[in-house]
Amino acid sequence: MYKLLTWLGGIAVALFVPFYLEGFWLQAGLFTMSAAIGAIGINLLTGATGQLSLGHAFFLAVGAYAYVYFAAEPEGHLAGLNLPTPLAAVLAVIVAGIAGGLFSPIAGRLKGAYLGIATLALIFLGQHLLFNAEPLTGGYNGRAVPPMELFGLVFADTPELVILNVPFGVLERLWFLGLAVLLVAAWFAKGVLRGRPGRAMNTIRDHEIAAGVMGVPVGRYRAGVFVLSSMYAGAAGVMLALVFQRTVPEYFGMLLSLDYLAMIVIGGLGSVAGAVVGAVFVSFLPQLLTRYSDALPLVAEPGSGGVSPAEAARILYGAAVVAVVLFLPGGLLGLATRIRLAVTRRVQLPAELTPSPDSRS
Amino acid sequence: MTGSYQPDGTATLEVRDVTVRFAGLTALDAVSLTVEPGSVHAVIGPNGAGKSTCFNVLSGVYTAAAGSVRFGGAELTRLSTHRIAALGVARTFQNIALPPRLSVRDNLLLGRHRLTRAGFLSAGLHLPAARREAARHLARVEEIAAFVGIAGRLSAPVGLLPYGVQKRVELARALCMEPRLLLLDEPVAGMNGGERAEMAELIVAIKESLGISILLVEHDMGIVMRLADAVTVLDFGRRIAGGPPEEVQRDPAVIRAYLGAATDLEEHA
Ligand SMILES: Nc1ncnc2c1ncn2[C@@H]1O[C@H](COP(=O)(O)OP(=O)(O)O)[C@@H](O)[C@H]1O
Ligand SMILES: [Mg+2]
Repeated sequence: MYKLLTWLGGIAVALFVPFYLEGFWLQAGLFTMSAAIGAIGINLLTGATGQLSLGHAFFLAVGAYAYVYFAAEPEGHLAGLNLPTPLAAVLAVIVAGIAGGLFSPIAGRLKGAYLGIATLALIFLGQHLLFNAEPLTGGYNGRAVPPMELFGLVFADTPELVILNVPFGVLERLWFLGLAVLLVAAWFAKGVLRGRPGRAMNTIRDHEIAAGVMGVPVGRYRAGVFVLSSMYAGAAGVMLALVFQRTVPEYFGMLLSLDYLAMIVIGGLGSVAGAVVGAVFVSFLPQLLTRYSDALPLVAEPGSGGVSPAEAARILYGAAVVAVVLFLPGGLLGLATRIRLAVTRRVQLPAELTPSPDSRS
Repeated sequence: MTGSYQPDGTATLEVRDVTVRFAGLTALDAVSLTVEPGSVHAVIGPNGAGKSTCFNVLSGVYTAAAGSVRFGGAELTRLSTHRIAALGVARTFQNIALPPRLSVRDNLLLGRHRLTRAGFLSAGLHLPAARREAARHLARVEEIAAFVGIAGRLSAPVGLLPYGVQKRVELARALCMEPRLLLLDEPVAGMNGGERAEMAELIVAIKESLGISILLVEHDMGIVMRLADAVTVLDFGRRIAGGPPEEVQRDPAVIRAYLGAATDLEEHA
C-alpha cells in the first residue's frame, strides 16, 4: 500500500515536471531516466544474480549506435538503413541483446568477479570499434542521432508544439517517452524479480550449488540474465542518444561502467527501486554540481583548472560507495526501509504502553 | 535390469564402486550401497569418512572418478545437478544453504522450480498464465509448510529464523520438489533434544505418508536405530559394514572405527 502510493505520487509529480521546470532540469532528469533503465539492467545481473559486469557501457554503446545506424539516412561515408525510428529503437535493443548473447558462453560459465574481469575486455573492444569502425560509428566525431518519430509526433524542437502555454521542445516531448520506457522497464524487471526467474537468480547469487540441486540450470540462467541486462543497457543507450542528440565515443568507457556499479551499490543491490534511487544519486549529482559550481567552494568552473564538477561528483559518490559499503549494507533504499520501520514502530508505541487490564496481574 | 521404476513412482538407488579423489586424498574408495524403494537407509561413520562426499556424488555436485550410480534406469554420475533434480532427487545440506534474505515462501517456491515453467518473458510481462501457475503451486507449498510445521513463518526472511527452523525450511524446500529420493545430510545436527525428537517424527511421517526413499546421514545413533531400515558404515572413504541396524551396531569393525576415531558417537549425540 505504502509502496503503491509512493509510486503513484512519484508518477503524478513526474507528469507535471515539464510544465514547470526549465530545460536544464529536464535534461538532467532525462539523463537520470536513461541511467535508471540501465541501472535496473545491471541490478538484475549484479545485484540479483551476483554476476559482476564491467561491460555495461559496451552494451549502452551498442544500443545507442545501433539505433543511429538503423534510423539514419546513409550520408557520405556514413552508413544507415533509414528505418522507421520506433522500429530502429526496438531493433537496437534486440541487437544489444544479441551482443549479450554472443558473450553468453562466457557469461554462463564464469561467476562473480571472474565475469567482471572478462567483461573488461568488452570495454576495450567497444572503444576500439567506436573509434575505428567509422562508416558505422562516425569515429572520433560520433554521429548525429535522428529524432524519434512516434505516431506522427517528432521528438525534436521542430515542428513547434505548445501545450497549456508551455512550448514543448525536444526535452519536454522526450520526458514523457522516457517516463513511459522507464515505467515499462521497471514493471518488467519487477515481474522477473518477484517471479520464478527472480527466485532462481537470488539463489544462484547466494548458494550456487543449492540452486543447481533444486533444479535450476545455473549456467543457462546466468547467460539469460546477461542477455536481459544487455537489453536494458541497449534501451538506456537509445534513450541517451535521443536526449544527447549526438553519440560521443569516449563517453562509453570504463568510467560509465563504474558509474553503473556505483548506482546499484549506493541505491541498493538487487531491487528495481534501489537501481532507480542510485541512478538519481549518481547521475543527478554531477549535473547539480555543474549548475552550482560557482556557488560551491573547492569546485571550479569546467575547464578553468582545479576540481571540475564532474570530478567533484565522482569523488563525492566514490565516498558514498565506501560509506554505503561500510555503514549501509542495503544502500539508500535499505536506509529508507529502516527509517520507515522505525517510524511505524514509534507510531504503534502508545498502544503498547497502555497495558490491558488482564495483563496487569 | 535393476533400478526399474516402481509402481508407486519411486525407484531403487544403486551405488556401485564409486570412487572420489581430491588432490591425493581418496574421499570415497569403491563404495557400494543399495537403497530399496520406499526405505530409509542410513549412512554413518566418523567425521571425514566421506558421507557428505557420497551425497555430493549422488546429487551431481562432485564427479566420481570411477563407479556408477543408477536411479530408476538413469545413470547419475554424468548428469549435472539440475538434470538429477529433474529425476526427482532432492537433498538438504549439512550446512544450511538457503538464500537468507528470501522469505520462507520464496525459498519453498524455489523447490517448485522444476515443476513450473514461467520464464523471463512470462514473469516480466506478468502474464496471467504465470500468475495462475504461481497461485497453484503456492497452495501446495502452504500444504507442505503446514506438514513440516513452519506454516506460520512463510513471510519471514529465512536468515532471521532460529537454526532449528531453518533446518525445517531446508527439508520443506526439498519436499517441495516432490522428490522420489530424498537425501538428508545430518538433519538434526546442532539441534537440542526436543527439536531432534520432532525432526525424527517428521522423517517418519515423510516415510509413511509419501512412501519415498530416504538416504540419511546421521550421527545420532538413537535416531538411526529408530528410523533406518538399513545402514551403511563408512570409514576413511571405505564401506566397512552394512545391513540391518541391529546387526551393524554389533559389528566389531564398526565399534573399532568409532572407538579408534578421534570423534566418538557420544560427541555427536
Ligand atoms: N571439495 C573438497 N575438496 C577437498 N577435500 C574434500 C572436499 N570435500 C570433502 N573433502 C575431504 O573428503 C573427506 C570426506 O569429507 P566428507 O565427505 O565431508 O566427510 P563426512 O561428511 O563423512 O564428515 C574429508 O577428508 C574432506 O576433507
Ligand atoms: Mg558431512
